[in-house]
Amino acid sequence: MSQAPDSIEKNTTQYTPPQDDTPDSILDFFKRLFQMREMGVLLALILLVLFVNSQSEFFWTSRNIFNILRSMSTIGIIAIGMTMIIITAGIDLSVGSMMAAAAMMTARLMYTDVLPPLPAVIVGFGFGAMLGFINGFIITKIKVNPFITTLGMLSIARGLTLLLATGIQGTVASNIPMRNPHINFLGAGYVGDIPMPVIIMFSLVIIFSLFLRYTVLGRQIYAVGSNEEAARLSGVSVDRVKIFAYTLTGVLCALAGVMQAGLLSTASTSAGQMLELDVIAAVVIGGASLMGGQGSIFGAVIGAAIMAVLRNAFVLLQFPSYAQTITIGVVIILAVSIDQIRRSERTIFTDIRDRFAGKSG
Amino acid sequence: MNDPLIEIKDIRKAFGAVQALKGISFTIDPGEIVALVGDNGAGKSTLVKIISGLFPPTSGEIIFNDKLVKFRHPSDALNAGIETVYQHLALIEQLDVADNVFLGRETTRWGAIGRFLGVMNRKQMRVDTRVALDDLHIKIPAPTMPVRMMSGGQRQAVAIGRAITWGRQLLILDEPTAALGVEETEQVLQMIERLRDTRKIGLLIISHNMRDVYRIADKIVVLRQGVHAATLDKTETNPNDIVAYITGAKDGNIVQVEA
Repeated sequence: MSQAPDSIEKNTTQYTPPQDDTPDSILDFFKRLFQMREMGVLLALILLVLFVNSQSEFFWTSRNIFNILRSMSTIGIIAIGMTMIIITAGIDLSVGSMMAAAAMMTARLMYTDVLPPLPAVIVGFGFGAMLGFINGFIITKIKVNPFITTLGMLSIARGLTLLLATGIQGTVASNIPMRNPHINFLGAGYVGDIPMPVIIMFSLVIIFSLFLRYTVLGRQIYAVGSNEEAARLSGVSVDRVKIFAYTLTGVLCALAGVMQAGLLSTASTSAGQMLELDVIAAVVIGGASLMGGQGSIFGAVIGAAIMAVLRNAFVLLQFPSYAQTITIGVVIILAVSIDQIRRSERTIFTDIRDRFAGKSG
Repeated sequence: MNDPLIEIKDIRKAFGAVQALKGISFTIDPGEIVALVGDNGAGKSTLVKIISGLFPPTSGEIIFNDKLVKFRHPSDALNAGIETVYQHLALIEQLDVADNVFLGRETTRWGAIGRFLGVMNRKQMRVDTRVALDDLHIKIPAPTMPVRMMSGGQRQAVAIGRAITWGRQLLILDEPTAALGVEETEQVLQMIERLRDTRKIGLLIISHNMRDVYRIADKIVVLRQGVHAATLDKTETNPNDIVAYITGAKDGNIVQVEA
């Protein structure tokens, strides 16, 4: 081994001692925790909760809190998949339709006694997976833009939902009953005081957060979204990673759809309409960038919680519904604006600041 | 004399009616630095992309380790032991140094189950990254630092470090010093020389900087408008001479490599 020339040895200002390589000390962990975008969103949620709590005595009751959590579980579960898709720099507009289609498939198979409940649910999940896979396949292999592909799927899956709902004797054309104690339990049941959908949502959030952080495929999802070309040159199967994200989202939609049908005891052709917008909003409020490469499931769940708390607060405080709709829109734009400013990219605010500081250009 | 590490034989590439490469032939020995020079549009990048498996040649052969190879995908070349550091570096800014070094070749834990589930051994990857970069005298902050927070020279070092960690045989560097300052350039050149002397790997370097080329290269391959204009031995040439071949002021002396 040759010795390093002096000129290199001298220039070691950035060299840090090896103990920095050792996995996070507790202090490091907290330091990094507070640098994360998600902590800002979490802080906003906490402030919002404190404010609403001070305004309404009905807010901080276990019944109301669990109602909020249950009301956000559909968005939260689908947001897990949407987060992964958005990290790959994609988008999925078809989640609401896929959710309705998969639930309708399950309900039809059960109601017509073609299959027993469990196989019917499995086929429903498979149907969701198939629709998601088709999205991923068209996006990666035919290279159709994700926005266009999933816009098409939004329409196709809704149409399939209507098709699956027709031609059954003894039902209204837009609904098929879903009466099975186990499936109803998934949507409406409780374990102790905790609603079942809340348990399912948090379980999945933990599992898939670990997946994103600690598995090869999870890291590669970030790599693909951050620099697709570099990922490909490093030997990452970019197409496979993307198809995985879209397929998983299809399965999560099916799960959310079956749970919602279980809650309402009916699969409806209008289930999940406009849901894609709420899911995307939750993911974006939670810190994901539509340019890809960044975002987290934890953030998306906090984003979903902020929207759910706002909706709940407007009801408790008896504000008109238009105020709620406007506020949620403002929150979406505000959340991303704050992030933009925080990352100190050039914005109208930095221009104003520089002008007052007398800087040019 | 050993067999060459890689032999490029009469490589031609046409994009439609455009002849990008019109018969390029040269060899690289283990422990040899070959510089690939030429003006913009001479076909340097096209040739590098063929060797690193981004697309196939229209005709011609690549003999690597005495075997005829045909690369269909970048991973074919990677698996063969050919690493390329692209000019744009191909790093993932959002990931940290260790994740970048191991991207596509992650270390897993928990035996067969972990391999099946793809559970990464991040601790091991960080330790290995530190050892590998220290071994190359590459100075970077902690392996847990995201690449987006690093300077141009540090990024270059990480990209080269990653390539060397995996590229046991042939390393291709596309403009390794183009984006660097004087001191950083010097460090990269010294690193390249150390690699040649200690690892005995073959190096193919593309550069526009004649001073750098003349300093480190053992052999200089000149391309001009897709034509193989000259193969020059460092001991029989000088920077002005190289420029003369690049611009076409001098012509001819192709040293035909024996098959």
